[in-house]
Amino acid sequence: MRKGFVISVSIICLGLLAGSFSVVGAADKVRGVTDTEIVIGQWGPQTGPAALWGAVARGTGVLFDMINEEGGIHGRKIKYVLRDDAYQPAKTKAIGKEFVEQIGVFGVASGVGTSPGMAVRDYLVENKVPWVGPATGSQHWTVPFQKYIFAIYPRYVDEAFVLSQYAVEKLGKKKIAFFYQNDDYGKEGLDGAKKYLEKKGLKLAAEVPVEVTDTDLKSHALKLKESGADAVIMWVLPKHAAIILGQSKAAGFQPQWIASSTLSDAALMYTVTKGLWEGVIYANFLDMDSPLVKKYLEAQKKFAPNEKNTGVFFIAGFMFVEPMVEGLRRAGKDLTPETFVKAMETIKNWNDWLGHDCTFTPQDHQGMKSIFLSKCGPEGKVEKISDWLTYPEAK
Amino acid sequence: MDMKRHYYEDVRLFKTNTALALTVLFLAVLASLPFLVGDYALYVLNLIAIHSIVAIGLNILVGCTGQISLGHAGFFAIGAYSCVLLMVKAGLPFVIALPAAGLIAALFGFLLGLPSLRLEGPYLAIATLGFGMAVTQIIGHSDFTGGHMGIHAPRMSIAGVVADTGPRQYAVIMVVAVALGLCAVSLMKTRVGRAFVAVRDSEIAAEAMGINISWFKTLSFAVSAFYTGVAGALMAFALEHVSAGSFNLILSITFLAMIIVGGLGSVMGSILGAALLTYLQLKLQIIQEAPWIGPFLLEISKRYFTTEGLPNIQSIVFGAIMIAIVVFEPLGMHGIYLRCKRYWRMWPF
Amino acid sequence: MNLFFDLVIGGLSIGACYALVALAMVIIYKTSEVPNFAQGEMAMISTFVAFTLMSDYGVGFWAAAGITLLFALALGIVLEVAFLRPAKDPSILGLIVITLGAEMILYGLAGWKWGANQNPFPVPFSEYSGISPGGIMITEINLWTFVTSLVLMLLLFLFFRFTKLGVAMKAVQQNHFAAKAMGIPTRRVLSFTWGLSSVTGAVAGMLIAPISTLDPNMMLDPMMKGFAGAVLGGMTSLPGAALGGYLLGLVENFFGGYVSLEFKSVVAFGVIVLILCVKPSGLFVRHFERKV
Repeated sequence: MRKGFVISVSIICLGLLAGSFSVVGAADKVRGVTDTEIVIGQWGPQTGPAALWGAVARGTGVLFDMINEEGGIHGRKIKYVLRDDAYQPAKTKAIGKEFVEQIGVFGVASGVGTSPGMAVRDYLVENKVPWVGPATGSQHWTVPFQKYIFAIYPRYVDEAFVLSQYAVEKLGKKKIAFFYQNDDYGKEGLDGAKKYLEKKGLKLAAEVPVEVTDTDLKSHALKLKESGADAVIMWVLPKHAAIILGQSKAAGFQPQWIASSTLSDAALMYTVTKGLWEGVIYANFLDMDSPLVKKYLEAQKKFAPNEKNTGVFFIAGFMFVEPMVEGLRRAGKDLTPETFVKAMETIKNWNDWLGHDCTFTPQDHQGMKSIFLSKCGPEGKVEKISDWLTYPEAK
Repeated sequence: MDMKRHYYEDVRLFKTNTALALTVLFLAVLASLPFLVGDYALYVLNLIAIHSIVAIGLNILVGCTGQISLGHAGFFAIGAYSCVLLMVKAGLPFVIALPAAGLIAALFGFLLGLPSLRLEGPYLAIATLGFGMAVTQIIGHSDFTGGHMGIHAPRMSIAGVVADTGPRQYAVIMVVAVALGLCAVSLMKTRVGRAFVAVRDSEIAAEAMGINISWFKTLSFAVSAFYTGVAGALMAFALEHVSAGSFNLILSITFLAMIIVGGLGSVMGSILGAALLTYLQLKLQIIQEAPWIGPFLLEISKRYFTTEGLPNIQSIVFGAIMIAIVVFEPLGMHGIYLRCKRYWRMWPF
Repeated sequence: MNLFFDLVIGGLSIGACYALVALAMVIIYKTSEVPNFAQGEMAMISTFVAFTLMSDYGVGFWAAAGITLLFALALGIVLEVAFLRPAKDPSILGLIVITLGAEMILYGLAGWKWGANQNPFPVPFSEYSGISPGGIMITEINLWTFVTSLVLMLLLFLFFRFTKLGVAMKAVQQNHFAAKAMGIPTRRVLSFTWGLSSVTGAVAGMLIAPISTLDPNMMLDPMMKGFAGAVLGGMTSLPGAALGGYLLGLVENFFGGYVSLEFKSVVAFGVIVLILCVKPSGLFVRHFERKV
């Protein structure tokens, strides 16, 4: 048995070695585009601590399936490539290289995570790969201006600005505390809130950071309670939002909770917090009541019937890519990165999607600048409390 | 013939002429690869080279000196951040920043080695684990190191030539990797290397022979940290970005897995282990697209598990490989290689 | 002043969770001399089993808890038989690697089976209301966790000290061959040890899940902290490890409340390194020198 084992192992090793490297194939005229298909790639955290957001990438897949079934775009079907980066920038970089050099994609759709995206942003820009709808509201996609990147997610700074404004002016709250995740995502929200409060001559009652890996938030809750805030803005993961609500209630601290749009899945949050989510005010970037959502959910039943996670993140996967699809349509049969960029820049006040007023200009690639606010009612029902607010003129 | 008659035969870098010829052939193949394969393959090779450096360093500590370390991600991070910070904030050129980063990591390795003198076995593992995680947390939080977002790494440039294309980066990384590998092999043949092995085999006997245990243990930590630091610095350039989130416990475990799978105590084992695990890490994500296994797994997922959780198979395969190697082949891939060699040497008897 | 007492309560309640995890770790360490890195994932999978029983099959909490504990016992035994026993005379490093491998397999299985969603874990005692002596809120679940950890600690201590099986376990750790020679079925004892440790871990998991919501990553952090607590108190002493867990919880909370919330998590690891430098065998354990 031993000898056979040894021989078979040596043969397997040689086989692995031989099969692992492929010589680079012939280059297409335009990378990722043939007469019959367009190749679009996305990375997402399908495993690891951020796997909750893996649903975004899967949502995009269903959208493409739907479009392919309707005949594709100008006779071309979309070939969708999804990779798992486990929210680790090292893997994202490898995936980026794979997209450009091995698979040859035309463009990148969405993609969750600020640090993973940053690891690969410059590489994609250098290689002229159009990138639409990074699934984070970071400023890094538009500042400095990048020709091939089109951002859609409303920026965290602006969102926090609007939320603080609402808290102070509409709700009349005097002391606002900020509970944020200790990375760029949370800190950008913090900056937005501070920007508004400074304008009004106010200061935050408390700034409480939390690590992604923390599960014991008792001291955080106590810090918030100590600050005596009457409103707390949360810029964290759903998990931490759930924990802090529970711990605060246990500590006898019940302010008006205000949440960022990453926590906008009211049904999920209501279940996870066992009902504590009632009364929380949060920002939305997509309208779950829109008829398009019904259409998408039906497509999901058809193409991805085993998908368990069909909440806001899944639908967001559709929303971040709708402008890309529109851009592909407008670019016409002659599709190159240049024609695509030009076509995207003709999109002005476009409302045929889940978001609001998508506008790209040759100087500004931040597509959506509006959010609307809602409140979680009893039994997890959503109550809209404002219309689409566009900043900086938001009221 | 395995019999050695002179001392110099024992310390020769290549034991036989065949070994020398094969090594030269291997190096020639490595040198010619940039002209044959595409950029993505070169990137994969870069990653393998970097991980090999770490594996060799860790093997010096674990395989040759018999210590345990679950905190090498910390040294990796220190090397990466020091090099980038030296280049960005202090303006040092790459050729100086790289060894300097390695030396800074070696310093931390030395510091970690000092308290480890009193510890052994599980306690040592725990101490190094604590160190690795503490370093990552501290780096991730201080603004000097760019906080959670990390720092953007500049390009490597040697004497004015910027290594911005795939083949150039490959050249730099491979040269460093080969040089360090050769250093490791020759290190094990010197007095220092033999002292390491003596410490591993029996500390008390070694001490009785007059070997200064404290010095050699801490030296081993320092050398191992140097290798890992240099590798970390090279990784920063391969990724063009350093952020604290990537240097976590899983990374330390992966490094350890590389040398366990490859084979403790041998340079070739480290390289094999690093190559296999790096390759698996990259390819397992797309297991759905594998010829027969992919659809089969998807079927099982639909019926008993969740389809969206399928990429988790990476963890399962990794864990299974680690356990399989320890249970069935404690000497790792190097052990398998030795067995193959022995079998074929005596064939057909 | 209220903040101080609130922090004490917070520290003790999370310390109780850490203590339970530490107990589970020490049980295995006392018999196999290996820190069990798979502890957290074993607990997590048992908790998921409880959750599935309650949500998909509508079983009541206490029945589900009972079934889960049996499952945990079986899981521990299976792990020992499948992973540890086949290894022929492994070194410490080999054992550590096996437990790490088991951890990765269990984590992958959990992620594959249950996906990455957050799930609420229902328990019959409230997480928000409780008693409030002097204006300081002590919630019901805190009380239950605290009491359970003390009771388990006491039970385990008595078990190891006074029952035949407990003494047999200690004998197996001290000298494997002598134990065999004395007629102790060492392999069965080892399997049972793992089962017992897994049960303790499952209890810990079921008490941690209501507060921190249930998902595959739930136990990553508590396991590290429980580990630190066990190191702090002494890996070979059950009461020591539990006390270490409480101490760590208190230290963490005070650090977070008075010094800096950002570096709160670093405290645990700093504590590990510090204790191992100063008193490696832990605060509450006597240090034995090894003879040649």
